Amino acid sequence: MSSKQVSLEEAVAQIPDGATVAIGGSSLSRKPMALVRALARSSVRDLDLVVDVGGPDIDLLIGCNKVRRLRYAYVGFELLGLAPHFRRARQEGSLEFEEWTEYTVMAGLDAHIKGIGFLPTRTGLGTDLLTVNRSFRLIEDPFTGQSLVAVPAIAPDVALIHVNVADRAGNAVILGDAHIDALCAKAARTTIISTEAVVDEAELQRYGRDIQIPRIYVQAVAEAPWGAHFTACAPSYRVDMEAIEDYLQAARQADSWQAYLERAVLVSEEARVSSLGGAERLIGRLWV
Amino acid sequence: MEAGDRIDAIMLAAMASYLTGEVLVSSVTAMGLIAARLAQVTHAPDLMVLSTPESGVDVAPMTTLTLGEFWSGSRPAITLSMEEIFDAIFLDRFRIWINPAQVDRAGHANISAIGPWSRPKVALVGSRGIPEDTAHLSQILFYLPQHSPRTLVEQVDFRSGAGYGAEGPPHLGQAGRPTALVTNLGVFEWDRAGALTVKSLHPGVSPAVVRDATGFELAGLEEAEVTAEPDDTVRELIERFDPLGTRHLEFMSGEGANRKRVEIYERERRLFHLTRPRREGGRP
Repeated sequence: MSSKQVSLEEAVAQIPDGATVAIGGSSLSRKPMALVRALARSSVRDLDLVVDVGGPDIDLLIGCNKVRRLRYAYVGFELLGLAPHFRRARQEGSLEFEEWTEYTVMAGLDAHIKGIGFLPTRTGLGTDLLTVNRSFRLIEDPFTGQSLVAVPAIAPDVALIHVNVADRAGNAVILGDAHIDALCAKAARTTIISTEAVVDEAELQRYGRDIQIPRIYVQAVAEAPWGAHFTACAPSYRVDMEAIEDYLQAARQADSWQAYLERAVLVSEEARVSSLGGAERLIGRLWV
Repeated sequence: MEAGDRIDAIMLAAMASYLTGEVLVSSVTAMGLIAARLAQVTHAPDLMVLSTPESGVDVAPMTTLTLGEFWSGSRPAITLSMEEIFDAIFLDRFRIWINPAQVDRAGHANISAIGPWSRPKVALVGSRGIPEDTAHLSQILFYLPQHSPRTLVEQVDFRSGAGYGAEGPPHLGQAGRPTALVTNLGVFEWDRAGALTVKSLHPGVSPAVVRDATGFELAGLEEAEVTAEPDDTVRELIERFDPLGTRHLEFMSGEGANRKRVEIYERERRLFHLTRPRREGGRP
């Protein structure tokens, strides 16, 4: 099998301006943060983001002015609060937002996978989503006459996904909650996987049913230990609340935000881990 | 007697009483998870209680801030995919206690925006799975830790969830309908016609307090019963399910909440490792 292994920077270099990018993970769980940080460091602009349950991934990219449009069901930091840049951009109307729901994002990706223009659902009936989401259409069930919501297909150019283990060919293991990552991988034309560790093919096979994404859907693999940090990567490390508090504090003001980017985003992943006290300190604080 | 610092137990006992049968119960919030576990040991042994929003059935011995997803990695457990969770919702085999930013008289819920959606005064998080819940579940359950004119309103600023409004009933379909609302002041139910009625006020809560705290006219306040006080057994169970007190965060804000959060975060991993060995550091 040919190797698809690349560096983080090489992986994101293939993403053109204006690309539609689907991001895996869920709020503070297994977000592809190393890939997102690499994207923030790159010159790419005007991204059209798709996320089911977003968190610091979306917020960081908005904070770095990388986003033109966002389709989302949720963006927030769960019990730790609202997402600061997302909130500011929503209130200022500074980019295009389209509110979806958890299942309709899945249905949109699934429609694209199935090669059809939409999938119908009852989800959204009786809500204001039908007013603010111009992509949804109210249709009539041709068999029963019942009102349904038509969810249009979502066709990502790129999917960014972080996994526990992968081989060089892109077979990928997810050990915690799988979220909608396999759907993102199948729907995207180019799927970029970052992984805590790259192992050889024989060792990967031992994970059996935990191999959630087969290599036929994967175009690039980048090794990124702590690649979900400061979100969690079960069963290895939990959410880093100290680092999230640091992020939330920094996001309050333009100058503190710029300083944050310089020390935590516009540096290599290795330098970032060093600045957090090194891998040993992270293991001590976060390993489960 | 004043409800005061026992309000969590009073609300949890009331919330538990609505959970019955053999259904999946979500754990998106600590209060929802504790209510489900309470119901499981008191009257509804067949509930399947999730330990994260999407996975790990009946595997978490306690509520935590950051470790929900780790219980099922530490020993064999039933895990469910997002597809399976939504199938359970579509088939009405799922229950969730939803804690919205606003609930209105007609049972609409809002977690998207305060003020107009397109230029909100406060942008919240987005509708998440509430449209799915309200379009498919025959029992829709809300709770509000802070019952106030800003949370229980005449009309929500944005309908993240369907209710009994003018466009509601035809769109609520075969199943979905708002059922109950438990707040820090009382227990309320929607009747089949969609009118919100007072079921009981918590011990020490006067009709006048509820009237002032509600954004619309509520009938039947004077005749309301008093919510049952949970006994010591129930209180002990709540302590057992949530020894770290994560539920209290839902009643707190500002600096106090920050301190409590840090305290729980520091303690919860130690408690976790009392029963689950720590994995070798640095190995994925």
